[in-house]
Amino acid sequence: MRISTNTIYQNGISRISDLQSEQSKLQQQISTGRRILTPADDPVGASHALEIQQAQSVNSQYAANRVAAQRNLGIEESTLSSVTDLIVSVQSTMVSAGNAALSDTERGYLATQLQGSLDELIGLANSKDGAGAYMFAGYQTATQPFVKIITGAQYLGDAGQRLVQVDASRQMAVADTGDSVFQGNGQDVFKTMTDLITLLQTPTPTPADKAALTAGLVAADTGMQAALDSVLTTRAMVGSRLNELDALDVFGQSRDLQYAQTLSETQDLDYAKALSQVSQQQTILTAAQKSFVAITSLSLFDFIR
Amino acid sequence: MASNILSIGQSALAAAQVEINVTGHNIANVSTPGYSRQVAIQSSAQAQNFGYGYVGQGTQITAIQRVYSDLLAVQVTNAQTNSNELNTYATQMTQIDNLLADSSAGLAPAIQDFFKSIQAASTNPGDSASRQSVLSTAQALASRFQGMGELLDQIGQDVNSQLTSSVYLVNSYAQQIAKLNDAIEIAQSINGNPPNDLMDQRDQVISDLSKQIKATVVQDGGKYNVFIGNGLPLVVGTQTYPLSMANSPTDAGRLEVSYLNNNGKPTILGSSSLSGGTIGGLLQFREKSLDNIQSQLGLLGVAISATFNQQHQLGVDSAGNAGGQFFTVAAPSVTASTNNTGTATTTVAISNVSALTGSNYRLKFDGTNYTITRLDNGTAQTFPSLPQTLDGLDFSITAGAVAGDSFLIKPTAQGATSFSVAINNVSKIALGGTPSSGPGDNRNALLLAGLQTTSTMLGSTTSYEGAYGQLVSMVGNKTNELQVMGKAETEMLSQAVASQQSVSGVNLDEEATNLLRYQQAYQAAGKVMQIASQMFDVLLHLGG
Repeated sequence: MRISTNTIYQNGISRISDLQSEQSKLQQQISTGRRILTPADDPVGASHALEIQQAQSVNSQYAANRVAAQRNLGIEESTLSSVTDLIVSVQSTMVSAGNAALSDTERGYLATQLQGSLDELIGLANSKDGAGAYMFAGYQTATQPFVKIITGAQYLGDAGQRLVQVDASRQMAVADTGDSVFQGNGQDVFKTMTDLITLLQTPTPTPADKAALTAGLVAADTGMQAALDSVLTTRAMVGSRLNELDALDVFGQSRDLQYAQTLSETQDLDYAKALSQVSQQQTILTAAQKSFVAITSLSLFDFIR
Repeated sequence: MASNILSIGQSALAAAQVEINVTGHNIANVSTPGYSRQVAIQSSAQAQNFGYGYVGQGTQITAIQRVYSDLLAVQVTNAQTNSNELNTYATQMTQIDNLLADSSAGLAPAIQDFFKSIQAASTNPGDSASRQSVLSTAQALASRFQGMGELLDQIGQDVNSQLTSSVYLVNSYAQQIAKLNDAIEIAQSINGNPPNDLMDQRDQVISDLSKQIKATVVQDGGKYNVFIGNGLPLVVGTQTYPLSMANSPTDAGRLEVSYLNNNGKPTILGSSSLSGGTIGGLLQFREKSLDNIQSQLGLLGVAISATFNQQHQLGVDSAGNAGGQFFTVAAPSVTASTNNTGTATTTVAISNVSALTGSNYRLKFDGTNYTITRLDNGTAQTFPSLPQTLDGLDFSITAGAVAGDSFLIKPTAQGATSFSVAINNVSKIALGGTPSSGPGDNRNALLLAGLQTTSTMLGSTTSYEGAYGQLVSMVGNKTNELQVMGKAETEMLSQAVASQQSVSGVNLDEEATNLLRYQQAYQAAGKVMQIASQMFDVLLHLGG
């Protein structure tokens, strides 16, 4: 076929420029580490990558939520642990108060000691979490939940149970309300302790008074045992929530790994392949440039003298 | 006798000179665009009968012709117009493709960050820092929406200005063709010889014209009559019929290509009557892709705003008041055609976000019935009266419509550019579930956060990010398809050009050969004349 001089130049240039643009694209892929530079490179992969990124982002947010839940529940657990110790110490005080050899004055000392314990207990029930919110106040996190009154303590919080989304389909309570922990199930630890203090402060000159003291101590013992049960039940729930959070963390981490892997398979570059393509392209480009120069330098005019 | 030889030699000398000229002209124009190589057509001169036989009288140049094939030229212009149409469309789409390319700068991370901040606030609803982060990420989401919407608007403006300059080129080519028609006719009428270079110039203008729009050439003697689109005359003989730009009657800010009809009134030409070339590609892009992408992105803004607001309004803010609007977006835009003669106004309101399609609509009144056409797929529904509900939209019209009146409805086209945050006070964020429940109440925060993964869009089939993913995939697919087709058309074009060039193009080696050949012919002719002179000398010496 007859070929025009223009075509010879045009073909050479367009092939070289094709090769150069392929090289530039490879270079861009290598420098970004991404196989998909724009959605047009792989429309299905690009939208799939978006889905995975969202799933990964949501998953990482659940992990952050779990950290917050763990922090709250951890503080609750340690607070309740102090409450447990306090109740146990009140119980041992009660045992000493039952000693018939004690005088009214000596029981009065015990009452004063218990008064301190009651204040300490109210203090614990009014604990705040790491963010400065009252832990046992339900939704009323800015209101001190327990106020001391003559018959014990009044609950000013509400029954709201604060939930946190700790996994796609799991909302977990991260706080328990003070009325259920300290005043639930027919017991009221503040009233029990206030009654006990009043009892120990009351002198026992007559046998009837002594009988009333004994009966009062039995009632107080039952009350404190119920209070201890309530606190221990709550601690058991908190403990099992913490366990569940650990399990969810393990799942969450493995899911995250899986997402990262799928995302990488979807959009990341196969470096070995890309680099071998670069050197292949380079060979072709060099050959194309050399042959272009060789072909275009051939001219009959060179031989006309 | 000797004088005859002298004149034979002279004719050969003259012919070789012309041929060397033609060869030189070819060499000089080797890289002139549109140049067709020329050849001198040589024939022997009329022989003379001397009784004993016809004695040749030398040679003559009968014509100088260009080597040109109409068929190959038409193939080139067709390939030119197709490849320019597809590559223009592809270039425009690539802009949007690039806009969506960066997964860290697109819309997806802004949506994710916003919902992350709501999740974080749900773990600490009373904390004003957490609430502030909700507002800040909402602002970031709004500015991402606005930024993307504005870029798409900008691309629409660019289409306007590119169309304007293309139409300017088309008109200027039309005038050049008309002038060349005139010049070629005059040149041809002098002695019937073809004015090769003028003809090349005209064919080159046709080729340039076909880059802008599909053009059909009908030869009328020496003149070209040029038609564009569906047989609209652009050039007839020496008369041109220019195109112009006009404002769209229904779409403010949009320019359309129009044509002055016999009454001198501009008539708007749709994309169906303007195919091929840059103009065809731009119109296709605007009609089939840009409008759609703008509305789909807007739909996402409208859906996030409506569904988030709905849940937000069910909640309670820090002061114990019911939540208000969190986001705002523009209501559906309705524009009456400037050609309407009636006084009716149309109102369109969104009644069901999940049923929205993201398409634009045209409402037309024919005197008795109202036809609502969905513009992205062309489905039309006719109603005897309004109001009617269609695709989650309530269409209503006031009295006073006249037959032929039409309205363009873009329900979500401004959903991205107008997307903004309605509240600026952290205490107005309604994270609580019931009034006066306290700062720890996060019930509505949990419900708001859950919207991220709920299927609220496109007939409750997909989430916000799912809908965005569909948009990205749609843009990617279309861009990819256009790039592949554009490459194929470019390949076709270069093949058509190569075969056209194989006939008409100049080959320098061939010209070098010709140069040698005609140089030798010239030298030989000179020798003939020298011999004639020597023969004359012989006669003169006889006398001496």
